[in-house]
Amino acid sequence: MIVAENLVKEFRLTERKPGLVGSLSTLFTREHRIVRAVDGVSFTIPAGSKTAYIGANGAGKSTTIKMLTGIMTPTGGRCLVRGIEPYRHRQANARSIGVVFGQRSQLWWDLSVPDSFRILRRIYDVPDPVYRRNLALYRDLLDIDALGTTPVRQLSLGQRMRAEIAASLLHDPAVVFWDEPTIGLDMVLKDAVRHLVNHVHRELGTTVVLTSHDIADIAAICDSALVVDRGRVVHQGSIRDLLRTAERRSVVFDHRGGPDPGHACARIEQELPGVSASPAEDGRIKVDYPVDRFTSRQVLAFLLERFDLADCYAPEPDLEDVLRRIYAGGSRSPLAAGVAGPGQGGAA
Amino acid sequence: MTRTVWRHVRLAFFLGGVGLHRLSAYRVDFVLGAGAFLVRVGLQTAVVGLVFRQVPAVGGWTYHEVLFLLGFSLLPRGLDHLFTDQLWELGRKLVQRGEFYRYLVRPVNPLFSLLSERFFHPDGLGELAVGAVLVGWSGNELGLRPTPLQWAVVPLLVLCGALIHTSVKLLFASLSFWTVTSLPSMYAASQVSEFAAYPLDIYHPSLRFLLTWVLPFAFTSYVPCVYLLTGATGLVVWLPLVTAGAFVLALTVWRRGVNAYEMTGS
Repeated sequence: MIVAENLVKEFRLTERKPGLVGSLSTLFTREHRIVRAVDGVSFTIPAGSKTAYIGANGAGKSTTIKMLTGIMTPTGGRCLVRGIEPYRHRQANARSIGVVFGQRSQLWWDLSVPDSFRILRRIYDVPDPVYRRNLALYRDLLDIDALGTTPVRQLSLGQRMRAEIAASLLHDPAVVFWDEPTIGLDMVLKDAVRHLVNHVHRELGTTVVLTSHDIADIAAICDSALVVDRGRVVHQGSIRDLLRTAERRSVVFDHRGGPDPGHACARIEQELPGVSASPAEDGRIKVDYPVDRFTSRQVLAFLLERFDLADCYAPEPDLEDVLRRIYAGGSRSPLAAGVAGPGQGGAA
Repeated sequence: MTRTVWRHVRLAFFLGGVGLHRLSAYRVDFVLGAGAFLVRVGLQTAVVGLVFRQVPAVGGWTYHEVLFLLGFSLLPRGLDHLFTDQLWELGRKLVQRGEFYRYLVRPVNPLFSLLSERFFHPDGLGELAVGAVLVGWSGNELGLRPTPLQWAVVPLLVLCGALIHTSVKLLFASLSFWTVTSLPSMYAASQVSEFAAYPLDIYHPSLRFLLTWVLPFAFTSYVPCVYLLTGATGLVVWLPLVTAGAFVLALTVWRRGVNAYEMTGS
């Protein structure tokens, strides 16, 4: 279980003034600006969950992950990973976690991937059967053997990321923290990585904490979401609950006979105020309605009454849209009370 | 505690093996590094030879005594070089590029983890070999007959000297935790250490003081050599204390630096 209690991280930035005179004056004056990257965040991530840690750039995602992995010490509050304060007991914490920072390698740049793995095996005291089982798994799922004896520094980004991901799982960690783990991976490899993490989670009950700009990663891997905005938790719960906070939902339908799509749209918009309708591909019509004014039942009833429906479906609300609204500071607070974990109190 | 130490010892052997393996994989690097180093020592010896063509003694030191000192200074330097070269990377770029984090997410002591990435740096082997040859040859020419006690403390003198080199390097490399890169100050300190290859007697007292009590490189070569050549104990009794002091100070700065580390970027 991962707990954050009123976690705060502040950075001190030296103010630099532009120009030569400015940089000279920076030498002699000490003007600092305090930037609060994480602002009293509290949350609980249950063991065995797959949680997406979501936030816009600068929301404090990476900073929080760096505190949870023991890389940085909080300015205030504390966090616990399996009962350990990571930055106080780095080595003990390191045994039970696996880490990937997509932008930064943790492999031995002048050694080959198999050599790196041999070192990791010693460093983590990985038992033989576990080591062999995991290598077989990486061979099957990530085609890790194809990387051969090329030194890591000569690998492409995609090849390196495959090795990084495998390396983070080699010692069967109880928790993995993956910060942008699918950078540089093509569709096939992304799928392989998703498959791998889901496999490991199913077999070992690994807790997964993931940040990604790739919404598809989040949807394919995670079952719950922790949304952070400007250093504070604004939503915690399942991805499903997050989607339910959408302000607008839509229905797409196909109809026989009746008015042409342009007329049909005009008619829907006229009779259902606040609703927008637009022609979609293949003569279908997409109806977009605000959930605070209409229920899906009302919209469907209206459509059934007016049109001869051939086909009709209601797509999931777009996670990206939901998040965009949260980042933009949308009107309706998505903080679903009761959905949140016990640690929610501090952030409310 | 004992188990942790034991584990690190076993790991050190394993990673030392990896370091040796790397030597064979990067043979050209090795040859180039060793070649460049031999040229440097050759030039140093030549300069010393030229000077002694003009004068019989410098600051009371004869030709062979100076060569003995030059050779001895390479031993602790080489021993340090063999195991701690990765500190240069710390000062140069590991903090700047946000790569230092990897030593904090491994279940191993971070300093050990850092150093182990470059165990058995080839240049260190060259320094040790050339240093031993120079010391042996010039000692023989001088007709040096060390007492059993002197024989016994030689490894300690070299080890303490190496630790002093390591401490100074660690201290200046650790400044990068606050300044992002500390290569210039590391480089300056390493330049100062070059002075320790020659008799302190030829320097201005201020420089002598600096080399003895501020950046105590004198204790890595001049002080032990005076003891080995003359048998006079003098400053050498301070060596363990100076070593311990330097090492503790460097470790303290390192620890604070690690705790102040702020991984840059996303």
